[in-house]
Amino acid sequence: MKLSRVALLGMAAAAIASISAGLASSASAAPRTDKCAGPITFGTTISATGRNSTLADRWVKMTEVFETEFNKDGGIFIKECNKSLPIKIISYDDQSTPATAVTLYERLATGDNVDFFLGPDWSAVSFAVSQVVERHKIPTVMSNASAANIWTRGLKYIFGVQSTAEGWSNNYFEMLKGLSPGPKTIFFVAQDNLLTKDVVAHFSKKAEAQGIKVIGSEVFSPELKDFTALALKLRSAKPDLIYIASYDAPALPLIQQMRQMKVKANGVHEIMTTGKLIRTLGKDAEGLSGELSWLPGTKGDYSELIERVLKASDVDVMDYLWTINRLNAYLVMMQAVERAGTLDRDKVRDVLDKGTFKSPVGPITFHEGGISDVPAFTTQVQDGKAVIVAPPSVAQKPFIYPSPSWQ
Amino acid sequence: MDITIYLQLMIGGILLGGIYALVAFGLSLIYGVVRILNFSHGTLVAIGGILASLAYTDLGLPPYVSGIALVLAFGLFGRLFFQFLLEPLSARTPKEAEIGVVLVTVGALLMMSDIAAFLAGPTPKNIPVRFDPIELGDLILSSTQVYALAGIILLTVALHFFLRYSWFGRAIRAVSQDAFGATISAIPGKTLHGNTFAFGCGLVAIAGVLYATMFPVDPYMGFSLTVKAFTIIILGGIGNLTGSLLAGILLGVVESLAAFLIGSEWAPGISIMLLLIILVVRPQGIFGGKPA
Repeated sequence: MKLSRVALLGMAAAAIASISAGLASSASAAPRTDKCAGPITFGTTISATGRNSTLADRWVKMTEVFETEFNKDGGIFIKECNKSLPIKIISYDDQSTPATAVTLYERLATGDNVDFFLGPDWSAVSFAVSQVVERHKIPTVMSNASAANIWTRGLKYIFGVQSTAEGWSNNYFEMLKGLSPGPKTIFFVAQDNLLTKDVVAHFSKKAEAQGIKVIGSEVFSPELKDFTALALKLRSAKPDLIYIASYDAPALPLIQQMRQMKVKANGVHEIMTTGKLIRTLGKDAEGLSGELSWLPGTKGDYSELIERVLKASDVDVMDYLWTINRLNAYLVMMQAVERAGTLDRDKVRDVLDKGTFKSPVGPITFHEGGISDVPAFTTQVQDGKAVIVAPPSVAQKPFIYPSPSWQ
Repeated sequence: MDITIYLQLMIGGILLGGIYALVAFGLSLIYGVVRILNFSHGTLVAIGGILASLAYTDLGLPPYVSGIALVLAFGLFGRLFFQFLLEPLSARTPKEAEIGVVLVTVGALLMMSDIAAFLAGPTPKNIPVRFDPIELGDLILSSTQVYALAGIILLTVALHFFLRYSWFGRAIRAVSQDAFGATISAIPGKTLHGNTFAFGCGLVAIAGVLYATMFPVDPYMGFSLTVKAFTIIILGGIGNLTGSLLAGILLGVVESLAAFLIGSEWAPGISIMLLLIILVVRPQGIFGGKPA
């Protein structure tokens, strides 16, 4: 009896939350009337808390620093006003939760009346927020949203600076082609998440196309802590390669238990091999390969501004792997507004749709659906430190295969 | 299929179940005596694990030392939590008190998770004490988990005797069986409720330390642990420690086998499925009706 009352209470709470969201969404997001009264406002949410905060909590400070540094250079010149206007980025904590992010973007649109949206991050959150964006017709540059279903629904107001899941490990698989003898078999392990499952779905096909036989594919819940069963499957399958598509925190116990259960392979790839993961794993991380969007010191447009922002906000891109995409979203949106020369949302959308934008990782252009194709570098932990091993143009050291540590 | 794989899964499940049972002990006692469903119970496990991990990595304190300190600290925290946040609800109508308890404990869950993430960071932490694994042919057993399970069994036996023969234990059993009768037998109900809540929180500290020696803990893992603990006390019978231990082991083994046979993505949902099945088929629990 008591349990059923508790359940009823939970249902009531959920109903109240739904009604609140409904009420919020019924208000309209009006564009500003006085177009030349600064500042230009941008609304965003950051996962400062919650499951994905390991990858994003310092972006709150970073966003404040970016705003300050960008305004030091004069802000954005708006031709229609014949003057530069400062920028103001309003950010809230979405707690890594889609429902919270939806409520907050409604609030940004109707309560804060921001001019444009930035972010959010993570495919599940971005997918949910994309509905709000379209309803209010506010141009948005998303930072870390790779799942294909975000970009294949014909939405007009969302743009993404990260490539889809299909581009995620391209450099890694290209590098595998050049190995002799190359891997013959691969086992995919994915965290139960929109992005990671998309990545595995795409690269399973790519592996088969490259002649690498897929001998297993397993999905695990991010809540899972005991990986004995999965480690046993990997141990008995004896694949040449183990490809893990997971955020860093859920991958930690998996890799630790793989080591403990003496799982062997010629190589193990985890798509989010962060500095935190490497430090926590210690010597268990040796030989692990992964992906990285950008490294400081790589010269490109705005790289000085970006390095200044990263330094002032104490963000290490090895710990916060997807930082550059966050900052690229800011840079692209600022350029789009300046090129449009107006705060008219539809004109800014048109500029985003057709333009090519400067960034530290190279030019960014949005393809059909609004997604770009910024590549990621392949890294490998060698002597306890992650080094870039692909593509050859930026590689710091050769890829070690087979990895003695995993054999 | 190789028999050693199933043997490995069974043993892994037993080791995992032992820690689940320990998490459930405190909740079982608290619910049995105070009739409070403490939704923040699992979050206390996580915080205990995080504190013990920091004590080990930053201060070099061995887990048993931090464990003792945390038992005392969590006991005091539990007493104050009960005194200032839960006990005042008893002045309300039963319905208001019931809703109030849910709001207070769920609120505590959310606040404690975020405060822990803010102060210690959201990155998972563990206590990296590693003993060489025990290898028996293809069987590989984590020595840490084996030692932890041995400790949990000893603790269960000790708790069993404590609850059976100490005044506090007998008072707890008296209140859980007949609160009114206990009151007219001069057992101070309110004080006992506060002390039982504190005792349950102290047990959670031990669970947190042991958990962190086996698996990484993070500030947001609490709710799923609480659900597992609920499942165990329903399976094992409220207030029945031996039943809880057996139910924990059953849950651990079923999760391990399900992860292997059906797929790892299904393992966390097993506790919910088990809970629903037991509630329908045998509401008094598999080992129910026989409190310690």
